[in-house]
Amino acid sequence: MNDLKTRRGRGLNALRRRLGKVQIPVALGMTLVWMLLFKGFEPRPESLGIALLGFLVSAAIMMVFPLPPIVPGFRFWPVQCVRLFCHVLGKMVVASFQVTAQVFRPGPPVRSSVVAVQMRTDSDLMLVCTAIAASVIPGSVIVEVAQPEHILYVHMLGAESDAEAQESKQIILTLEERIVRALGTRKDITDLEAATAAGKENA
Amino acid sequence: MSEQFVSVLDWVAILCILAGALLSFVAAVGLIRFPDLLSRMHTAAKPQVLGMLLVLLGIGLRIMPVEETGVFDFGTLVLVGLFQIVTVPVAGHIAARVGYRTGRIRHDLVVTDELEERLEAKRRAVRDRPPGEGTS
Repeated sequence: MNDLKTRRGRGLNALRRRLGKVQIPVALGMTLVWMLLFKGFEPRPESLGIALLGFLVSAAIMMVFPLPPIVPGFRFWPVQCVRLFCHVLGKMVVASFQVTAQVFRPGPPVRSSVVAVQMRTDSDLMLVCTAIAASVIPGSVIVEVAQPEHILYVHMLGAESDAEAQESKQIILTLEERIVRALGTRKDITDLEAATAAGKENA
Repeated sequence: MSEQFVSVLDWVAILCILAGALLSFVAAVGLIRFPDLLSRMHTAAKPQVLGMLLVLLGIGLRIMPVEETGVFDFGTLVLVGLFQIVTVPVAGHIAARVGYRTGRIRHDLVVTDELEERLEAKRRAVRDRPPGEGTS
């Protein structure tokens, strides 16, 4: 009898620990995806049920497959987010044309370089976002990431001289700045500004 | 919605889809024309991102006037675009990394290579380490 009670207590503790794994912001994000999948945004009575069900499903998923929380997290800066979006979209269109020109250019094969770009913040999340954005923009592929040092190794298509390699490095740094200003925490932004100021003094 | 507006939307949608298809075609040509794996990665992963977004936009404009297709709606298109953008870089990065590390790179086509220097330094560090010490 006593044995059963302790076992139940242990079970309850385990359940509580599992419930602690549920991260509310992530669960909300998953609910959003769920609602998009099931047309939850139309004004009809089922929408509320879809939202509730989506939240329960995402909570259950996070209890069964717990993931570590994202540290140090991020925050949205709405105006800068719009700027980031426009920046990436513009770059994408321009670079698409550049790559198209390189594809159809007659003559010897196009040459390129691999450049190392030192990130200016310590945040892993910013590193990942920069890597994704750089990959989505044509003309740059991430070859290697040095994680503890936060260095991205980027393959730039069509950077045929050292000067052009430096230029393309600047493109990635600008991209990083846009992303940090749009999604970074206050600490990330001060880090970025400090690093930029230090870099300017060196130059 | 008026008849005219719908036909304008139709034309815009058609142009979007056409542009997207053209970009995908460019990607295919690039796959053949580019010399080595890394530059091929560019076309395999890229123009087709913008191309795909354009095709999705075209489909979205096309189905906007005729709601209730029953199969999918605007939300589905947003999801398709979002997950493509988030997952394409991962595949591209893995392919590029493996290609680089296994030496499937034409070094004569790479002008400045800052990664090579780093890998070389790392290799030297491993070689110089006295035997018996564990590898990290």
